[in-house]
Amino acid sequence: MGTEPAHTVTRYDQELDRLRGIVARMGGLVERQTAQAIAAVVDQDEDAALEPPELDVEVDALERDAESLAIRILALRAPMAVDLRLIVAVLKITGDLERVGDYASSIARRALKVEPLDGAMSFTALRGMGRLVQENLHRAIEAMANNDSERAMEVWNADTAVDEMYTAMFRELVTYMMEDPRKIGPCIHLLFVAKNLERIGDHATNIAERVYYAVTGEMLPAIRPRGGAARKSS
Amino acid sequence: MNGDTMSSTMQNDASNLTADAVGETAHPLALQVRNLDFFYGKSRALHNISLDFPERSVTGMIGPSGCGKSTLLRVLNRMYDLYPGQKATGEVLFDGQNILAAGVDLNVLRSRIGMVFQKPTPFPMSIYDNIAFGIRLHERVSRSEMDGRVEDALRRVALWPEVKDRLQASATAMSGGQQQRLCIARTIATRPEVILLDEPTSALDPVSTARIEELLDELKTEFTIAIVTHNMQQAARCADQVAFFYLGELVEVDSTARMFTTPRESRTQDYITGRFG
Repeated sequence: MGTEPAHTVTRYDQELDRLRGIVARMGGLVERQTAQAIAAVVDQDEDAALEPPELDVEVDALERDAESLAIRILALRAPMAVDLRLIVAVLKITGDLERVGDYASSIARRALKVEPLDGAMSFTALRGMGRLVQENLHRAIEAMANNDSERAMEVWNADTAVDEMYTAMFRELVTYMMEDPRKIGPCIHLLFVAKNLERIGDHATNIAERVYYAVTGEMLPAIRPRGGAARKSS
Repeated sequence: MNGDTMSSTMQNDASNLTADAVGETAHPLALQVRNLDFFYGKSRALHNISLDFPERSVTGMIGPSGCGKSTLLRVLNRMYDLYPGQKATGEVLFDGQNILAAGVDLNVLRSRIGMVFQKPTPFPMSIYDNIAFGIRLHERVSRSEMDGRVEDALRRVALWPEVKDRLQASATAMSGGQQQRLCIARTIATRPEVILLDEPTSALDPVSTARIEELLDELKTEFTIAIVTHNMQQAARCADQVAFFYLGELVEVDSTARMFTTPRESRTQDYITGRFG
């Protein structure tokens, strides 16, 4: 994929390139949203907190553009094989990216209500989790741009660490809340932020799955590596 | 959680797809082509073809012009025998017998393996006689039995309601789509086991084409069907397995779903995605 000869019909190639372009632009924006959302929380950066909801307007518009172009190509070109897989993947991936944008906006809106807790709990854990999620998202988007199934596989395998971090944070925060009911408010905000980050990680994994399918034609197994405890307790 | 449910549904669908495809190969084989070479004089048109045709299923044959797909079809009922200088080597097993061998009764063979061509070829006689003609060649049947056989054949191709009041009218006055269905009726009237179709709808409008495709779906419950088509979507719609030919070679054969989503060979992929030089 990506190394195929050109289509006999040039316009077909142009349409597919345009579709890839829309997804790449979406990927860039969503990465920016996620980075700013995390910065807004862990650095308590007010300017950064404003950006993700603003960018979300364009992300949503791009998702609609990608969908209508994909439908148009399906109807007019009857794509087959690698082209068909690309279009199906694009439809799914843009849905995932749009969700990531929503989670990033949600984190940003909450950012300034979050405060570091006294004592053991600081933003350190959140910072670590944020960095890992950002890295996975970046790699998933990179895999998408380069049709790189190996990179996609790496992302798919890396989500376990995010899930484990979330589980650890969840336990820690529950402990704080039980110890001191006055901490319930700030802890809940932190918990939501962590949960949203964990969901972004899941969508990065989904994107990796779609990329893997588009490139190889094979589906990854239904059961993917994950920290099971986080699921059960949430 | 939503994302998870969605992805596992997708995976289940995918494995169903594969299960279906595997199910197709469970059919016993009607025809087995083994190491077939074909020559037009000195020029070699088919190179070492081996291909199975499962019983009561549709095998689609695709490929660019001159790739050998029609040649293969013409080998399967020894149509090429009509032309001097054309020669096939290898084996085509039909009911355990090599039909390429000397001494095969070609009339019997062609009644068991019928053929429908690209352009409808009704005989210049009545609709009734077009069907009766083939039956009379092979069997002696009473007038009333013949009436029944003609009606049955016309019903099977869904032509009966349109022509039942004008069976004595000339077949050449029918529309192209009706003529082609008449030709299919004529072929199945002699009760063959295999039906070969060479671009059967390329001269027809979309509605007539859809009728023929619907017909194929019904006929495959009873007959083994091999269809050569230039229309990729038609192969995708009608066939259970698809074979891709290029320059006289069989490049790839697989279940239709697999062929059009995940072909293994890059030559197949380039052809079906419209990337051919």
